[in-house]
Amino acid sequence: MSQRTQTPSTSASATPVVQGRGLTRDYTRGSSGFFSSSQAPTVRALDSVSMAIERGEVVGIAGPSGSGKSTLLHLLAGLDVPTAGTLELDGTDIEPLSGRQRARLRLETVGIVFQRFHLLDALSARANVALPLVERGVGKRTRRERAESLLEAVGLEERVTHKPGQLSGGEQQRVAIARALVTDPSLVVADEPTGELDSESGERVLDLLVDVADEQGVVLASHDQQALDVCDRVISLRDGQVARRQ
Amino acid sequence: MVGIAIAQLRHERLRTALAILGVAMAVLSIVMLTSVGIGVVETGQQKFDQSGRDLWVTGGPLELRPGTVGGFENTLIDSHTVAAEIAQRDDVATAVPMAFQTVYVGKNTTEFETLIGAGAPAQGPSVSISEGRGFQTRDRHYAEGTYDGPMSHEVVIDQRTARLLNVSVNDTLYIGGTLATASRNEFTVVGISPTYSRFVGAPTVTLHLSELQEVTGTTASDRGTFISIRLQDGANATAVQSDLQQAYPAYTVRTNQEQLRATLEDKVVVIASGASLVLLAVVAGILLTMNLQLSFVYQRRQTFAALQALGLSQTSLSALLLLKTLLIGGVGGALGVGLAIPGTMAVNEIVVAVTGFENVVSLSQRILIGGFVIALCVSVVSAAAASLYLTRASTLETLQS
Repeated sequence: MSQRTQTPSTSASATPVVQGRGLTRDYTRGSSGFFSSSQAPTVRALDSVSMAIERGEVVGIAGPSGSGKSTLLHLLAGLDVPTAGTLELDGTDIEPLSGRQRARLRLETVGIVFQRFHLLDALSARANVALPLVERGVGKRTRRERAESLLEAVGLEERVTHKPGQLSGGEQQRVAIARALVTDPSLVVADEPTGELDSESGERVLDLLVDVADEQGVVLASHDQQALDVCDRVISLRDGQVARRQ
Repeated sequence: MVGIAIAQLRHERLRTALAILGVAMAVLSIVMLTSVGIGVVETGQQKFDQSGRDLWVTGGPLELRPGTVGGFENTLIDSHTVAAEIAQRDDVATAVPMAFQTVYVGKNTTEFETLIGAGAPAQGPSVSISEGRGFQTRDRHYAEGTYDGPMSHEVVIDQRTARLLNVSVNDTLYIGGTLATASRNEFTVVGISPTYSRFVGAPTVTLHLSELQEVTGTTASDRGTFISIRLQDGANATAVQSDLQQAYPAYTVRTNQEQLRATLEDKVVVIASGASLVLLAVVAGILLTMNLQLSFVYQRRQTFAALQALGLSQTSLSALLLLKTLLIGGVGGALGVGLAIPGTMAVNEIVVAVTGFENVVSLSQRILIGGFVIALCVSVVSAAAASLYLTRASTLETLQS
């Protein structure tokens, strides 16, 4: 497995790819009854968490189930907006953005790797990787070249025309990583990227994510100590608050 | 996007094939049933036009009377008298009473078939004779209502009756409203004509009206089905219709168009059934493609949520769904339209063989285009339902489920 020797980039802008200040997220549990005047109870999933991730940095988010890992990850990826606090993604405050504008911002600045890969089973590895470029209006030839070069980078140059069903779990996750990188995002968010993989495949996926961080900031949430070991630093959450920074 | 849609459809070959087949069947049903409807109206109109008549006097719909001779009762009473009165008018050229009644017909006195007996003049320019001749005498048996004039004992039959009974011109037939009457009444086949058979769509024997009334026992009330009226050249059909209606308020006087409409109104249950089938075909087509789309979206809801998380817009995903259903609708529609052409020809062949009516299924370019457009509309509705499902699903909740 790769060992992190890279230090966070001190290049040009030095603006963090993502910066959250006092991030708080409350959820309403159920709804108030039709005949009841009482307010539905709210649950605080995240409580005043501040953090920043720079290019070239791999940041791990650890914590037990229900500690707020996924909530923080969704906020950092621009999938959700905080109840309180501010979040800037590549220098853009996401709070005033509409859902459509946030989707556009994600398309341009965030790559996401899911635990369960979420590839379209009818499409080849190449077509799956190229899919976000269709949304960006990139031409067919460029999409094809870009997807093939990324599949080569993740070691799947022999598998470009294979469909997800013809690939192993590790190979599917590598396709998902290539898809996350295809738009050249500033930030790669990975949610339990090794959760569905055996240790050997997981190791290879982690190596890839570490390599990616030469250009991008990477944040990964995991229970897996092997995954957290490759990170430059780890933020541990407990009950929605930062319990420890390593 | 087109490539992705095609890849998805190819990936689910069986579902895609079933959906295409469903749409094709829906389009086929719509095209065929609409064509039948239009064909029936056109054929009916043609028959009325070919009859060379301008007005029709009826006493009301035929009533089923299982206990009576013939099984049903004609409702126009004193048909000869009323026809004679109408014929007196200067603006009327001819007024001819006619009746249709079921009769027993046999080539001997032991075996009989139940056929339609037409009491009508099988002569004149509006009756086509393919073999033999038409009636050479007028209806003399009526004899001013005494029914004691000489009977001609002549009958004109259609080709199917000839085949059914294996008889030809100059052969003898036994005809009557009951088996006993039939075995006593001998008629000679003088000609073969398709005219009245086409009118009713069944094998028919045509007698002089009074002779039909005689053998079916309806002379007392002189019952007929209708009186057909041909006007003098230049006469105003609407004015004559109005005059006659005032003169005979118990009867209904209709033009060709009105008579056809009334005939179709009598078949309102059949028409409603046809319309219901068209509606059901459309609904079935929508449900089939919608089911395909919704199950596709539901099974891949997390993948779609992931794609939305990656930044793919709702518009792009909806466009993908729309393209998929349009491909299904397009191919299914084309297949349905393609099948409708030989289907129409086959049904027309069967109808001609069974009833003698030609072109009952009238296929037109407009109906074919309409069927295809409905297939595309079905696609759009299905895609809209699937898109709505996607829109209402929360990306985050779906990803976490």
